[in-house]
Amino acid sequence: MIRIFRENRTVLLAVPVLVFFTFFFIVPVFTLLALAFNPKELGSIAIKPVLTIENFKLFFSYPVYRQSLINSLWLASVTTAVCLLIGYPVAYIIARTTSKRVQAFLVILVFSSMQIDLTVRIFGYLTILGDNGLINGTLIRAGVLSRPLPLMYNSFGVIVGLVNLSLPFLILPLIGIIESISPDLLNVARLLGCNRWKGFMKVELPLSLPGIITGVLFAFAISMSSYLIPVLLGGWGRAVLPVYIYQQISNQGLWQRGAAFAIILLMANLIVVFALIRYYSRAYAKRVLVA
Amino acid sequence: MSTSALQLVDLTKRYGKLTVVSQVNVSIERGEFFSLVGPSGSGKTTILRMIAGLTTPTSGSILLDGKEITGLPPEQRGLGLVFQNYAIFPHLDVYDNVAFGLRLRKVSEGDVGTKVHDLLDRVGLLGCEKKYPHHLSGGEQQRVALARAVAPNPKVLLLDEPLSALDKNLREEMKFWLRSFQEDLRTTTMYVTHDQSEALSLSDHVLVLNGGRVEQIGTPQEIYESPASMFVADFMGLTNRFSGTVTAIDDNRVQVRLTIGFDVTAIVSKRTFGVGQPVNVFVKPEAISVMESAATTASTVNSFEGSIVQSSYEGALLRHKALVGGHQIDIYAINRSENRFSEGSKVRIYWAPTGVVVIGADDNERVEE
Repeated sequence: MIRIFRENRTVLLAVPVLVFFTFFFIVPVFTLLALAFNPKELGSIAIKPVLTIENFKLFFSYPVYRQSLINSLWLASVTTAVCLLIGYPVAYIIARTTSKRVQAFLVILVFSSMQIDLTVRIFGYLTILGDNGLINGTLIRAGVLSRPLPLMYNSFGVIVGLVNLSLPFLILPLIGIIESISPDLLNVARLLGCNRWKGFMKVELPLSLPGIITGVLFAFAISMSSYLIPVLLGGWGRAVLPVYIYQQISNQGLWQRGAAFAIILLMANLIVVFALIRYYSRAYAKRVLVA
Repeated sequence: MSTSALQLVDLTKRYGKLTVVSQVNVSIERGEFFSLVGPSGSGKTTILRMIAGLTTPTSGSILLDGKEITGLPPEQRGLGLVFQNYAIFPHLDVYDNVAFGLRLRKVSEGDVGTKVHDLLDRVGLLGCEKKYPHHLSGGEQQRVALARAVAPNPKVLLLDEPLSALDKNLREEMKFWLRSFQEDLRTTTMYVTHDQSEALSLSDHVLVLNGGRVEQIGTPQEIYESPASMFVADFMGLTNRFSGTVTAIDDNRVQVRLTIGFDVTAIVSKRTFGVGQPVNVFVKPEAISVMESAATTASTVNSFEGSIVQSSYEGALLRHKALVGGHQIDIYAINRSENRFSEGSKVRIYWAPTGVVVIGADDNERVEE
């Protein structure tokens, strides 16, 4: 170890980052992990040398908790799919915009929603999606509807909110990757006999796969762990897992259970991440993807 | 009359007020190796892109086998294209790259295999089928790009500076290889380059482009021996430029009195000037003989006394700079003992009238619009 530092002094530059990550990322996760295997004790966050899987057992024995995990996975999947459907064309258009000024403007536009605090944004959604909100209000006044459409306090509202939250994180890596695909590749494909769409499908789409994977991972992880949006826009009809984590800790004061639920959420997230990475590296093991 | 493989009629491209390509007219015969040569910004790549359908011409038309293709999308033109950066599909292996165009043409997988095998054999890449582009060298990538472009039997093969990304030795080697590859396949080829020596050594015909206009179209010999304009002469690397006035014309034999006081005789095949008119004269450095000043020549014309001021030894070639009447003249001589002169030695230099190029001063550098 010391030899590494002696032989390669640039390694020293990584030390602050390593220290930061150890204290603020690795330590908390392991604390959480340890706590999850402790028996429940009201109000205590001290780690004790007693091992139990009671907290995990409890989670899987209550249908409401199991359902919340399924809700989380389902909402995150749908959100990611919607993000990809909206985000890919947007990223493509931005990446293929030749004017750098227009491009910069479009990128700022994509990220403008992130300039506003999430809570404020959610209240913005309430005024749009609510029963007396912009959409329902207008349609009822225009006589198109007699009763408001259920746009909120259901999955639809949550997905709208989650898409809004995760979309910029899917678009950004895609822009970079699509930009790095030389337009000459498409030109060559066209001369070889592809029309515009076929050329995109055979050349640009497969080459942008690394960006798709990265963007999907971001969007999935962000929407899977979101708490505020499902609570404020979804109500209790379809509670997600983070809601129960919060409930266990804040309402019940049972940190051990909250920790166990959090570990389950983390695991579910990691399984999806590893599955995607595995798919990606299998399909593209031998290839350099960027021209 | 047989139709040409490719014909450009008044082809013009303007971006706003800027004219990039101006009324280019040319016919390329079937099986020909045709070069488009010019400095950067002369519009040669724009012409190539218009032929390929990647850029829309402002006016004029493009005919392929006598049929108008000007408005067709690139995929319906039946052309092959190799870019300067090769543009190999990085997500496909060598085999799939070469097979790409064939598979789009509903060719059976068996026939695709036969064709790909034959082409990889021709380009010397048999056994590389399963390799991915990033495992290939520049020269190999270039040959994959070429095999991919010719696989669907294009009517015309377009090559955009395909050698410029290679290092010098490989470039020389690939140049000869490319020519024999083209001769084997007999595919009509349009080659775009800024390198005049590449254009001269590869082509059946050369088009010299300057500021979007055609300066000259001809065989390499015509272009080099009788450049039609000052631009072509300069671009072909002619040196020893003098200005003068025509004093006598006898059939194709022309007498010029140079402003520095000498009389020079030239034999020209075409002329655009008459007696008394101002002209520019180039003396080809390789046409000049150097001998010791005591030596006598049979000829009385184009023979001058001078001295060697500089001599550089370049292996096969010797480059002398001789001072004649206060004027410096470049001389290229084969490295043989009788051509070696030390700096400062008195010499007699002589050149044959065929080694002189005379261009009317009116054909001087064109005024740009």
